[in-house]
Formats: sequence, C-alpha cells, structure tokens
Amino acid sequence: MYWKYAVKRILYAFVMYAVIIFVFSGLFNAVAETVMRAQISEAIRGYAQALVQADRRLSGEQVQMMTEARRQELFDQYRLNQPVLSRVFARTFDTLQFKFGDSTIIRSSSGERDVWTIIAEAIPRTLLIFLTAVVLDIFLGIWLGLRKARKAGSVMDRATDIGTMVVFGLPAWWVGMMAIMTFAFVLPVFPSSGMHSAPPPPTSLGYLVDLLWHMTLPVLVLVILGFWGRAYLTRNIVLTTLQEDFIMSARARGLSERKILFGHTLRSAAPPIVTMSLLALLASVGGSLLFEGIFSWPGMGNLYWVAVSLNDVPVLMGDLAVSTGLYMMGLVILDLIYGFLDPRIKVSGKA
Amino acid sequence: MTKRDFSQMKALWDEFRRIKFGMVGLALLGMFAILVIIEPLIVPFPDAASRWRDMTYWVDNPRNAKPVWVNWFTSKDYAPSARIESDAFASEASGAGRMYAVEIPYKYHWVQAPTDITLRLGVTGNATYQVEFVRPDGLSVSYMKTSKSTGTRDVRISIAQNMAPQMFQFAQKIEDPAVMNSVTAATVNPLAILFGKAEKGSLLRGDKPLTGTYTVKVTALTADATASLDEVELIVAGGVQGILGTDNMKRDLWSGLIAGTKWALIIGLLTSFIAVVVGVIYGVTSGYYGGFVDSLMNRIYEVFSSVPLLPILIVMSAVFKPSIWIMISMMCIFFWVGPVRTVRSIALQIKESSYIEAARGLGASNRRILFRHMIPQLVPYAFASMALSVPGAIVYEASISLIGLGDATRVTWGQILQAAFSSGAVLQGIWWWVVPPGVAIAVMGMTFAFIGFAMDTILNPKLKTR
Repeated sequence: MYWKYAVKRILYAFVMYAVIIFVFSGLFNAVAETVMRAQISEAIRGYAQALVQADRRLSGEQVQMMTEARRQELFDQYRLNQPVLSRVFARTFDTLQFKFGDSTIIRSSSGERDVWTIIAEAIPRTLLIFLTAVVLDIFLGIWLGLRKARKAGSVMDRATDIGTMVVFGLPAWWVGMMAIMTFAFVLPVFPSSGMHSAPPPPTSLGYLVDLLWHMTLPVLVLVILGFWGRAYLTRNIVLTTLQEDFIMSARARGLSERKILFGHTLRSAAPPIVTMSLLALLASVGGSLLFEGIFSWPGMGNLYWVAVSLNDVPVLMGDLAVSTGLYMMGLVILDLIYGFLDPRIKVSGKA
Repeated sequence: MTKRDFSQMKALWDEFRRIKFGMVGLALLGMFAILVIIEPLIVPFPDAASRWRDMTYWVDNPRNAKPVWVNWFTSKDYAPSARIESDAFASEASGAGRMYAVEIPYKYHWVQAPTDITLRLGVTGNATYQVEFVRPDGLSVSYMKTSKSTGTRDVRISIAQNMAPQMFQFAQKIEDPAVMNSVTAATVNPLAILFGKAEKGSLLRGDKPLTGTYTVKVTALTADATASLDEVELIVAGGVQGILGTDNMKRDLWSGLIAGTKWALIIGLLTSFIAVVVGVIYGVTSGYYGGFVDSLMNRIYEVFSSVPLLPILIVMSAVFKPSIWIMISMMCIFFWVGPVRTVRSIALQIKESSYIEAARGLGASNRRILFRHMIPQLVPYAFASMALSVPGAIVYEASISLIGLGDATRVTWGQILQAAFSSGAVLQGIWWWVVPPGVAIAVMGMTFAFIGFAMDTILNPKLKTR
C-alpha cells in the first residue's frame, strides 16, 4: 500500500502548509498594514495634487470628496476596510496561490517589481552554492565517517570527534567573516563578495571561471564546517549497525571486514544515512540567511535580509512562503524515499 | 529527590567523570561561571554593561586601538593608553587669586605615538592656564587657555583637537620650509611631531621617535579667591589599549566581551532548560497516552518542526521588537520540538515495561506514573539534550542581533558583532573587534558540545569504543 501512504502523506503536508501560511499571514498582518497605509496616503496625496493641477476650478470640497472616494477605492482594493480575520484569510489564500503581488522597494535584476520574479531569480543562485557545498560535504562526511567507524576508538577517530565538537556551536556567518577578512583582505586571493566581477567577463568560459572564483570562498567555508557533523553521525549509525547480530554472523562466516562494511553494514545503515544527507540538502534550500548576507551572495537568504532591512513586506512574505514550501516539500520527499527504503515506516506511520 | 534518583545520578556522574572531553567541557563551563562572578574585578570599565551606548562614558579612550599584546609581535611598539593623575600641586597667592604649578612626567619609550593626549583639569570658577609640553631634548610647545565658569567643571585640553597649530609652528622651526609648505596645520599629525626626533626630513613622518621623559607643566592663575584648580590628570589615548583593544565608538572590547558572557549563559541555559522540560513532558505524555491524544500531539509537533526557524524568528523580532526575555520566550516556542521525537520513542518502550504495569495495577494515577516513574528515567537524556541545544540558542540570538533586530539595550556578543559588521570592521581589517566575540561564541558552543557529546556517549552504550 505504498501509494496510499504516499497520497496520505502529501495531502497531509498540504494541510500543514496551509496552517503554517495562515499563521505567517497573521504575523505579517500587523507589519504589512502599516506599510500599506503609508503607501496609500502617499498615493492619495499625489492624486489630490494631480486633481488640483488638472482643473483649477475645483473647489476644496470637491477635491476632498474625490480624494476620499479614491481612498475608499484603494482601501477596498487592499481590503483594509474589512475585519482583521478576513484580511488574514484573504492573505493566506493569495499566498497559497503564490500571488505575492508587487514589491514595495526591491526590484529584480531586469527592474521588475513582481515578487515571484524576484524570488524565482534568487532560488537557483542559492541552490548553486548550497547544493555544491552539501554534495561535497556529504561525500567527505560519509567517507570520513566510514573510516572512523572502521577504526573506532583510534587516535584519528577521537581527534575528528573533537573536531566535530569544536565546530558544533560555530556560527557559519562568523567563519565567513573571518574567511573574508583573511582571504579577501590580508591575502587577497578571493573576491570579498558577490557572484560576478563588476563587469562580468564577456566570454561564457570566462563567465564560468569568474563564477567559480566567486563561489570558492563561501563553498569552502560551508564544506569545512559541514562535513564534521555528517562524519560523526555516519560513524554512529554504522557503529550501531556493526553491533547487530547479523554482522556477527557474517563475521563468524569468515567474510572479509571490507565485505561486511560495504555489503552488509552499509545496506542496513543506508536509510538513516540517506535521511541525514537529504535533511542537510533540505536545510540548505532556504539558504543560510546570514551566510549569504555576509558574502553578498544574491540568493534567497540575502533577499530575506534585504527585505527585512527595507521593510519590504510582500517580498518577505513571498520569500518565507517559498522557502517553507520547498522545505516541506523536501520533508515529504524524504518520508517517501524513507518509506520506500524501509517498509517498516509505513506501518508505524499509521500509528 | 528519592534515594533511588540520587544513586542513579551518582552512577551517571561516575560514568561522566571518565570521559575526558566531558570533563574539559565542565571545566570550561566552570571558567565561564567564574568569569561572570568576578566580572567587576577583571574589567577596567565596570559600568560597561549599563553604559555601553553612553558615549560620555568612553570619551577618554582611543578609537579603534589595538590590543596591548600586539606590541609583543611588532618591532614598532604602539604607545599604550595611560592615566596619570597629579595631586601634588604647589600653589601660592598671586594678586586677587592663586597661582598653581603642576608638573606631570610622562615616560615615553615606544615607536608609534599615541593617538591623543588630553589634559583634564578640574576647575572651579574663572582661571587662565598655560600648558607646556617639555620634550626630553629640552624643546617645548605651549598652549594658553582661559576658562570661565561659575561651578566646578572639567576643562579638557587635547593635543589632537586644540594644539595642532602650535605643533605645526613647532615643526616649522625645525623642518625644511619646502616640506612645511606642502602641509597645513590641519593635515599634520600633531602627536607625531611632539614625539618625533627634531631632525629634518623625519619629523612629520613620525618614524623616528624621541624617547625619554616628557614633562607636562601646567600653570594656572585663578581670577579670585573663590576659584581653584582641584585636579590635574594626563590622559594618554594610546595606539593600543586593554586586553582586546577598543572599537570605533571608543568602547573597551574586553569589558564588553565579559559583560556578554553573562547574557550568553542566560540565553543559552534558560532557553534550553525551558525548551527541554517542555519537550520531555510533551513527548512522554504523547507516548504514554497513545491513540487520539498521541496523533493530535504529533500533528501539533509536526507543524512546529516544519517551520524554518531563523526566518520566522527574524520576522517575529521585526514585529515585536523584543527585549532579551521576549527573545528567549520566542526561541522556546520553537526549541521544545528538539527532544520530542526521541523522548516519545523512549516513552513507548518504558510504557511497556513490567514495572509500569505493576504501578498501574497498584492503582497509581496517570500523573504519578508519568512524573514519578517515567520522567526520572529520561533525566540523563534531558541533560544531554539541554547541553546540545545551548549553542543553538546562543547562535540564534547572535544571528538576530547581527541583522539588527536584537535587544539593543544589552551587551551581547551578537550585539558587538553587529556593531562591528555594520561599521565595516570586516572590510577595514579591525580583527580585534570581529574575532573575540566569535571565538567566545565558539568556545561557549564547544563547552556545551563537549558536555552534551559526553552524555550522548554514556546514553548510547553501543557507541562505546573503550
């Protein structure tokens, strides 16, 4: 009954997404409205001036009546004269349909104000840097984790354990600052920020090299901080599996240690390792907010930071909705893969 | 605490004691606790925490001064900050008022001149002063000032701010006219001239220092008998100051860093304690009752756990403009999900054990079973979970502060980093402003990681490697 489980999981995720977006909408309502009211009174002022300019015979009362009518029109349009709850609901529905409206300040690189365009532009940039880093550190982490598990208790194992603990509470953005200070200013090897040189190189090969050059420092920092934890978890999962009875029986049968590790242990340790790796991929989708900001990497995280500091509510709401959506989508995919790899999950999933 | 709980804790401690890095973690935690307790004794500016943003508190400090130990690594020593107070003054009646004469010696044996020297004169009433800086080579520069006031006040005479023209004139007597024509009183560094050898060609550059004892002579003539000179202090704002230097607002970073330690501990421990207690009770309840209660609680748990944490905390901070306490509460709202899943699965196992069944058979209430029989079993796990969520809480606070949405009335490591980042310390290479708060966060994180990982090793005997 895999498909039944899958459909149930997906439907359930949609409901949960709607609930979360509803909560976000409520939270944003307060901020959004102050911004919107300010924009409307700005627009009304402009409108009144235009009226007076267009027809000098209009009396003060007439102008007032017309601007008042216009104000009502705008209030209707933005639902500002409806009760709070219905506004929150309306915002929820708009967001669920990915109708984020226009940004107030931020523009896309081609100058558009459509929030969706702005976000669509940022997503691939975030994916580029974080996927590269995560893929690299999954490989590095699993490789090191396996080595650690095989030589559990050795000096190498313990030393790398200490490494894991040292980077545990280290904010990636601070390490980023350090890296910028060291490699962009003291030893100017890498650019300090951004995605391209100021005029990007004309040839496509040059463009690619330039991009890689800009990517190196942030990716390096992410990988250096990332693979420790992954190695530690892999080691623990593999080590736990190595104590199972079937491994002992494999050993008793005289199989080589290598065969036991790759043939038997890894097969049963795969689901948690896959989960762990995918979770890491997922966590990277929204971009690490501050990390991108520090490197001025124009992805989702940086967009969020800019939107917060410019108080651009539509972009903020859109960014949050999209990154939450991507994150939850990833969780669903994860559950589906996990259910596929480990049939027991489906049973316990019902409980 | 019953006897059984006690012996359980003792067994846990006996095991913990054998894990080296766990003990290192505890030692570091002890060190942080001691730092917090002796804070007023080890910082040069004890009011740093309450007056961090009060510019007048820091006025005598140099801007962007490096830490003093930079001198150990450079042959061009920077003059450190110093305060020399003189209370031995001679005074004699002169006309209607009094004549004061004060001499303050200042030993100078560095290469790089201080950034400023200020003479602070505590005066009452009207007076006229003459300040004369006598160099070791006998040459001198002087300055006159008259102050009029009714009450007691501080008169400040600063070389950088008040005496640049005098220093320029002094340089004109020594340096080539051709060189002097290319600069003005506003472009020369008056301190480099004061502390430079009186030689042609090097005076303006300040690369040949004149070492020895400088004497600052202050003569004051008060206008009448009510006026007096009460205090004279020479304040040297050096190129290096304190253990960690100063920032661009002249604040002493060591004082700020120590003041931040307290907040890091409060944020980390309070958040993780509340979150883990809530999470453990939630998980146990959910696992114990099962059925409808369990699925409802699971749904609620899933909503909270699928929210991206940092973005939502940032939005909440933007909406609520939080104090540090509200920020801790906000983190608790999302942090409690951490232990729930593991606790629930442990609770499912314990629930089936025979002693729970026995308790139930004896007629124990659900509440009694939960709190007397199940939760005590989870205490070791709760400790591990608490220790491991402390660094997260500290880093989240720092992240929110870095964006500029934190509690600006407190001195936290995040606030110091925010000030550094927003004023471009990273790009200007002011490393002594950026490195220490981050290292502090890292060491604090490491401390709790050591403790938490040690607990983790005890709790998962399968991972033991002997």
